[in-house]
Amino acid sequence: MARPRRVERKPALAVAVTVVFFAWLYLPILAVALFSLNDKKSLSRFSGFSLRWYDELVHNSALIDSLVASLEIASVATAGSLVLGTMLALGLERVTSRRGRVIGAVTLLPLVTPEIVTGVAALLLFTGVGLKLSMGTVILAEITFSIAYVTVIVRGRLAGVSREVEEAARDLGCTPFQAVRLVTLPTLVPALVGAGLLVFALVFDDFVLAFFTTGVDPQPLPVRVYSSIRFGVSPAINAIGTLMLLASALLIVAALVLPRLLGRGTSSLDLITGGRR
Amino acid sequence: MTAATPDPAPTDATPSVTLRGLTKVYDGTTVVDALDLDIASGEFFSLLGPSGCGKTTTLRMIAGFSDPTSGSILVGGEDVTSTPPHRRDVNTVFQSYALFEHLDVRGNVGFGLRRRGVDRATLKRRVSEMLELVELGDRGKERPSRLSGGQRQRVALARALINEPKVLLLDEPLAALDLKLRHAMQAELKSIQRRVGITFLFVTHDQDEALSMSDRVAIMNEGVIEQCGTPEDVYERPTSVFAAGFIGVSNLMSGTWADGSVTISPSVSIPAPGHQGSADGEAVSVAVRPEKIWLSELTPAMFRMPGTIVATTYHGATTQHVVSISPDLTLTVLEQNLPRMRAEDRWIPGDRVELGWLPEHTVVLT
Repeated sequence: MARPRRVERKPALAVAVTVVFFAWLYLPILAVALFSLNDKKSLSRFSGFSLRWYDELVHNSALIDSLVASLEIASVATAGSLVLGTMLALGLERVTSRRGRVIGAVTLLPLVTPEIVTGVAALLLFTGVGLKLSMGTVILAEITFSIAYVTVIVRGRLAGVSREVEEAARDLGCTPFQAVRLVTLPTLVPALVGAGLLVFALVFDDFVLAFFTTGVDPQPLPVRVYSSIRFGVSPAINAIGTLMLLASALLIVAALVLPRLLGRGTSSLDLITGGRR
Repeated sequence: MTAATPDPAPTDATPSVTLRGLTKVYDGTTVVDALDLDIASGEFFSLLGPSGCGKTTTLRMIAGFSDPTSGSILVGGEDVTSTPPHRRDVNTVFQSYALFEHLDVRGNVGFGLRRRGVDRATLKRRVSEMLELVELGDRGKERPSRLSGGQRQRVALARALINEPKVLLLDEPLAALDLKLRHAMQAELKSIQRRVGITFLFVTHDQDEALSMSDRVAIMNEGVIEQCGTPEDVYERPTSVFAAGFIGVSNLMSGTWADGSVTISPSVSIPAPGHQGSADGEAVSVAVRPEKIWLSELTPAMFRMPGTIVATTYHGATTQHVVSISPDLTLTVLEQNLPRMRAEDRWIPGDRVELGWLPEHTVVLT
């Protein structure tokens, strides 16, 4: 053929598009990290390195309170939605009737419902039944919103696990409950870790739902950041952003490395990234 | 089972598995229809049939994963019809192997014993013995996902056998293996079964597998057992048109019974001296295996017919000929390619031949 070597050449256009894409994606984030180390308040001129904004952050008790509140909300919501979402996935996987399939489809609705609708609806519900807005209401709303993500990920994994695996457990002496505990759940661990990480990340920086359902104090971090920006941006916000970035990077590295260190064949992140399988 | 079917001497008076009137109806369709079956202790028994014949449903009912609509299941003389799977003295080798991916090979094999609370030392010893039996002694620490298909199959077998069940149920366990490995595993399964002495109930759609491994074979079709007997019985003496057609290849001819022979067409009448129980004028079928028909070296005892070769196909060890007897009757003949046969002696289409077979190879089906 006339052009056998073409395949081997790197397509210049594709490389260029990739570079521009990553620059577009990550330069603003790098700017945040850079300016968190600025020694002046300016967000446009970098004049020298200093850790003063990190120092200010540590002494800003309102921001720290919000950070702690957001971590608490994300942890509780992750745990709650993991339990409920997994139970839902296990149940839906066994359903064969038409009605069951309809219910299965309905559980996916939160994925496509505009979050602002969910937020307003949650606010109306909570005020309607007389619940005082607080961290508790934020957690309730976030769990409701996160269950669908857990269910989708866990069902995806369940679909790849033969029904016969649970039957094998029962065949070898497990009651139905023991079969789930000793075989099905351990098989689902990669999916549970993946779903947990995803939900934690989604809830931790969720603004819309938190904004509608939060009480006055302590406000979740995204809400606090938003309200403080209205009075002028402090580079302390950059500092907290950089710390969060580092924390999530560490989390991702941990999710990739830990399963391999523990001798697991597959990493939990493979489920999200679609790698290796 | 017919009276002509000789049972192998049972090693134990109580059958391992007894099915009485076992029936399963799904959405108005009868999948298993009033099955009666006794499987002797220590027997290698195969349920053979096409997909959808009810063999897997029968197996699942014995394992306890599916509830019978009616009828009863006895394992070792004890009625287990309504016993949940984890309390039945029965273990299963699943078609997909269903290994526990979160456990290593030893964890998989020892799972059943750990459930029963066997002490650590015994557990360790028994798992090692089992792994030796299936020749996986050095793979104990591997994850199932790192094993080949044949090795996964052995782990599944060891995991079930270690519990020393009254019956081991095998659901097409060799179906996923390639041909060569399948043949090797057939021989190995058989030898393992002989060594451990546990009753095997093997479900397959592969007649070759069923014939080569089993003490007895039951041919299942549309929820009922068509025929049950030793591999030789069901192959040499099929009792129904389905059995004759499903196992191996048969030349099936339909005709009318009269005076000790079957009239296929005005010019063809096949004597069947051994057949009894049909009235004159009754419609019957005749089955003859292709390899029982001779094209040369015919003897006086044989039933003979003239014909014309219309096609030959070379299969390596054998050659298949299609012989036309009359315009509406052709027979398939399978000839061994013996060392003394020379290429120029082979039959070619158009050759006039005389074919024949011994009267005992004529099987009359009613």
